[in-house]
Amino acid sequence: MSTALKSRLAAAGSALRERDVDGTTLLLAACFVPMLAFFVVVWVIPIVYALGMSLFASPVRNPEFVGLGNYAELLGNGAFWGFLWNSVVYAVATTGLSLIIGLGLALVINQRIRGGDALRTLMIFPYLLPTLVVIFMWKFILDPNIGILNQFLVDAGLIDKPIAFFSTLEFAMPAVVVTSVWKFASFAFFILLARLQAIDPDLYERARVEGATTWQAFRDITFPHLRGAILIILLVRGIWMFNKFDIIYLSTRGGPLQQTTTLPIRVYQLAFSEVNFGMATALAGVMFFLLAGVAVVYFRAFAPEKEVA
Amino acid sequence: MATSSGRGLVSHDTQKRLQRIAVYLTALLISVFTIIPVYVMVVIAIQSPATTFAGGRVNLLPTEPSLRNFLVLLGSTDTVRYFVNSLVVTLGSTVLSTTIAVAAGYGLTRFDFTGKSLAARAVLFSYMFSPIVLAIPLYVVFSTLGLLNSHFALTLALTAISAPFCIWLMWQYFQTVPIALEESAWVRGASRWRTVRDVVLPVARPGYISAAIFAFAVAWNDFTMARVVMSRDEMYTITVGASLFLDRVSIGWGETMAVSLLISIPPFLITLFLQRYLLQGFSVGGLE
Repeated sequence: MSTALKSRLAAAGSALRERDVDGTTLLLAACFVPMLAFFVVVWVIPIVYALGMSLFASPVRNPEFVGLGNYAELLGNGAFWGFLWNSVVYAVATTGLSLIIGLGLALVINQRIRGGDALRTLMIFPYLLPTLVVIFMWKFILDPNIGILNQFLVDAGLIDKPIAFFSTLEFAMPAVVVTSVWKFASFAFFILLARLQAIDPDLYERARVEGATTWQAFRDITFPHLRGAILIILLVRGIWMFNKFDIIYLSTRGGPLQQTTTLPIRVYQLAFSEVNFGMATALAGVMFFLLAGVAVVYFRAFAPEKEVA
Repeated sequence: MATSSGRGLVSHDTQKRLQRIAVYLTALLISVFTIIPVYVMVVIAIQSPATTFAGGRVNLLPTEPSLRNFLVLLGSTDTVRYFVNSLVVTLGSTVLSTTIAVAAGYGLTRFDFTGKSLAARAVLFSYMFSPIVLAIPLYVVFSTLGLLNSHFALTLALTAISAPFCIWLMWQYFQTVPIALEESAWVRGASRWRTVRDVVLPVARPGYISAAIFAFAVAWNDFTMARVVMSRDEMYTITVGASLFLDRVSIGWGETMAVSLLISIPPFLITLFLQRYLLQGFSVGGLE
C-alpha cells in the first residue's frame, strides 16, 4: 500500500475517534465484537480446553491427571514417528508435484496460447470440486475390476493383472498423492499466474534486444519474480497437505496396514475408533505446536502481517 | 534447453518451433489429465449401469443417456435430506463468515489501535490451521454442551475454517478502498452508519462476493467437520451421506456418480459465472 494512502487512513482514523458523533463507538463495537466473539468461541476456548484434556488419562469417563504422561507415551511409541514420516512424505510429494504442474501450466498460459482462457477456466473446477467427488472419480478410475486405468494397462500389455491401487502396499501412497495433486495443482497455478501477469513485459523486450535466450530470460527475469510466491506455496500448501485429513480418510482410511496413516488420520482414529481422548488431544496438541513452530518461521521470514498493518 | 548461448546446434527458428510444440504439448497433457475424471463421472452418471458395463468392459461413449441413476438415488436414499442439510449449514456459514469478515475488515482498516500486527498474525495463524486439529477440540466442547448433531454447531465449525481467510481478504480489500469517499459523505453531513450503508458497502461489493465464494466453497466441500459433528444419519450433509453410499449393496457406481454430478453443480456454476471474483481471491492467498 502506498504511504500516502496509509497516512490518509491513519489521519482519517484518528479524526473518527475525535468526532464521536452519531455512534462511532457503536460502529467500533459492531466491527470488532463479532470477530472477537467468534475467535474466543470457536478457537480459544476449544483449543485451551483440549490442551487441558491432553493432560488427563481417560478425560471423559474418569479423568486422572497424568501431566505430560500422554505426550511421553505418544512420542515414546515408535509408531508415532512412522505416522509423522508418512505425513512428511505425503506433504512433500503432493506439494512438490502440485508446484511443478502449477508452474508449468502458469508459464504455458502466460505465453497467451490459443485456448488459454478456456484452460484457465477448466483449472478452477478441480479446486472447487468437493474432495468426496474427486475421490469417487479416482476410485473408479483406479478400481481393480472395472477401472479404466487397469483396463488400459492390461490392454497395452504393461501389466499382467489389474492392480488394486488404493489397497496395495506400494501403490496406496502414490495413488493418494496423484488424487491429491489432481485437486490441488490449481492452487499453485493461480497464485503463480497472478504473479507472472504482473511482470512488466518491457523487461522481456529489453532482454530480447540484448540477445538473451529464453532460458536466460527465465532465469534472470521470471524466476526472481516468482521466488517469493514459490516459497509461500511450498510453506502454506506444505502445511495444509501435512494436515490433510479428508482426502486420505476417504480414499484409504489410512490403510493398507497403516501405510497411508498420517498424523491427521491418527488423530481421528484415536478419538473416534479407539475413543481415547487423552491421547487424541495430546496428538492434536503436538500438531498444534508443530504448526505454531512453522508459523513462527513464516512470520520471521516473510513478515506477511506487513501487508495489512 | 539445448543451447544457452543462442548459437548452438539448432537454428533459432527450429528452437522457437520446438518451444511452441513443448508449450502446446504441456497444455494438452494437463487438460487431458484434468478432463478425463470429470468426463468419466458425467458419462457414468447419465447412462444406466446396464449400458455402462455391457460386455464386461466399461463403455464410456454415451449411446443411451438415461435418468435411471438419479431416480434410484431419489427413490432409495436420503439424498434430498442430505442436500437440505448441506444447504442450511453452507448458507449459514457463508453469511456468518462474510459478515464477520466485512465488519472486521472495515474496522481494522478504519480505526487505529496498537497490536494490529498481532491481530494480523492471529488471523494468519488460524488461516494456516488444520481443520482436523480444530475439529477434535470443537467436538469435545460441542459434546460437553450437548450441541452435537445440530445445524448450529456445524455452522459454527464451518465458519471457524472459512472466516480467517475471509477476514484476511476483506482486510486487504478495504485497504484499496480510498477513505476519501467516506470523508466526502461525512462532509455532506451523512452519519457514520449511513456512510457505511450507502458508500462503503456498495464499493466493497467485489470484495465480499469474493469472500462469500470462498466461504461457500469451504462449507460445500467440507467432509471433516460434518463427519465429526454429525453422528445421526438424518443430520448428515451430502458429502458425509454420500461417502457411505458405496458401502451399501443397493448402490453402485451409477448412483454414486449421479450424486457426484449433483454435488458438482454449485462448483460448476461458480466456475462459469463468478470466476473473476475467485481469481481476485487468489491474488491475496487462496484457501486450503
